[in-house]
Amino acid sequence: MSDFANETKAVIDAMVAYKVDGIQKAAASAKAAGMEATEIIEAMGAGMSEVGIQFQRGKLFLPHVLSAANGMTAAVKELEADLPIDQVGTTLAKVCMGTVEGDVHDIGKSIVSTMLQCGGFEVVDLGRDVPSPDFIDQVVNNGCTMVGLSALMTTTMTVQEDVIKLLKEAGVRDQVKVLVGGAPVTQAFADKIGADCFSESASEQVDKAKALLG
Amino acid sequence: MKSMSEYCTRNGDGSTLYQNKEQMMQDIRDGTADAADMAGVRELNANEIDHLFEIISSKRRVVGVERGREVVLSYDVGQLDMAGDNGNSGGGIASSRLNGALVHERTLCADTFELAHTDYSIKPVKPVIANEMNDMENIQNNLTIPYFYGAMPNMGLYYAPDGPYGNPADLMREFKIEEAQQEAEKSAVHLARDIEYVSTRVYKAGADGFNFDTTASAGDADFVGTLHGVEKLRAQCPNAYILLGMAGENVMGIHGEIEYDGQVVAGLFPQEQVVLAEKAGADVFGPVANTNTGKSLAWNLARAVTFVRGCADVSNLPLHVNMGMGVGGIPMAETPPLDAVTRCSTAMVEIAKVDGI
Repeated sequence: MSDFANETKAVIDAMVAYKVDGIQKAAASAKAAGMEATEIIEAMGAGMSEVGIQFQRGKLFLPHVLSAANGMTAAVKELEADLPIDQVGTTLAKVCMGTVEGDVHDIGKSIVSTMLQCGGFEVVDLGRDVPSPDFIDQVVNNGCTMVGLSALMTTTMTVQEDVIKLLKEAGVRDQVKVLVGGAPVTQAFADKIGADCFSESASEQVDKAKALLG
Repeated sequence: MKSMSEYCTRNGDGSTLYQNKEQMMQDIRDGTADAADMAGVRELNANEIDHLFEIISSKRRVVGVERGREVVLSYDVGQLDMAGDNGNSGGGIASSRLNGALVHERTLCADTFELAHTDYSIKPVKPVIANEMNDMENIQNNLTIPYFYGAMPNMGLYYAPDGPYGNPADLMREFKIEEAQQEAEKSAVHLARDIEYVSTRVYKAGADGFNFDTTASAGDADFVGTLHGVEKLRAQCPNAYILLGMAGENVMGIHGEIEYDGQVVAGLFPQEQVVLAEKAGADVFGPVANTNTGKSLAWNLARAVTFVRGCADVSNLPLHVNMGMGVGGIPMAETPPLDAVTRCSTAMVEIAKVDGI
């Protein structure tokens, strides 16, 4: 148990309560009590994970997740002066997200984008009906190391495989992790087309994307 | 060769799975516990669990309800399931809307049927409403079974880039949460107005009622807009038969705080959704339970039956549960396996006590 168990709990509780000022106050109180900035950020990360669980269980909703993430961002900014220089302003990875060409369904992909952003990833959301070469462009020219491909229809899920083929043709397949999802997509399909990751839900996607980082 | 003590069943993606009795029973217990925990409804009791095991583990390929327990079958997407051919589950059979309806009535023995626009959404029907009214009247003159108009509220079509309102998902990623909520609220008002426009006109052209399919697919504001639309239809057409079917087991909280009749709708489960559907004026409610492709049929079906049984326990409305690819315990597969479909349907009637499918 940490020496700052009460402060840690207060920070986690503030994250779950998702109020920006509440999170900032809890972080400031923890800092005033002598807790290290990195420990406070770890506690906020634990709180964000709990927020993700509550979201998955239908107890918290998208605006609440975003508000918690916003509060965490604001609190981290105030802690930046106390952080090691190599931890300031870092993100886990840069992900380009999009619904594949021919598919105009947006909401599921947008929820995953939001959850990844809240989970510490930098997200480039290309929108929906995205031409396949645009994903490759993001990898080659914009530094994305993860590609998220969404499809809601059986007629468009095959485009996920097309994008993977284009990544291979461009010689960058080994440089990126490919995440696939959408209602008709299954683990078996993801395996068949050579994707790196399939998830049933947005929250699960964040956990799996983090696991892919090694 | 599989042991005689093992049962051939399905995964949630439709692939074959062999389980022994203990594994299957454990999945049933876990599935019902998960639904009960999420929705706040009761778990299936021991008798219901045994009955569910009996249905799933049957050696027969096709399982059906006991004689006398048959229920009404209604259909979504109208004639499109015959004529549609997107390279997926449509039949691709060249057929007019009238022929599609007649085949469903006279060959497939549908209890009800509906007319549907190719896009199957409220918004694109507005500019072609005169055509839809004309077809409704003509086809009604040839049919005996109740014939509705069906469409999805599909409030996503009201957001940029398809519609006039800002896209909440985009706005929220910029942390413009209040602005996103305001855009969702405006879209809900617009949706209710369009529902009134379309549904009252097709009713006056002879429709027996309206099937609101996949309600709340764009989240909680979609649900509220649809409920207000149902109110308007009910007020103008007191005898219209209104079927309100959902998009998922849980109302997605995209807005998070929008209310209907003083009730925040985000996160509501079927037993709570049905109460609002009744208040708005619906005659029949269509609960949904989503399939997890990584779990077994036993887990998914136990979970689905628990959600729907919880809804049936409190509902004053007849329930026509949504059954198909990826819902109602049925595996997510292009052509769902018949063994799984018939087991799920049987369990929904005999254990969840639904009135129709």
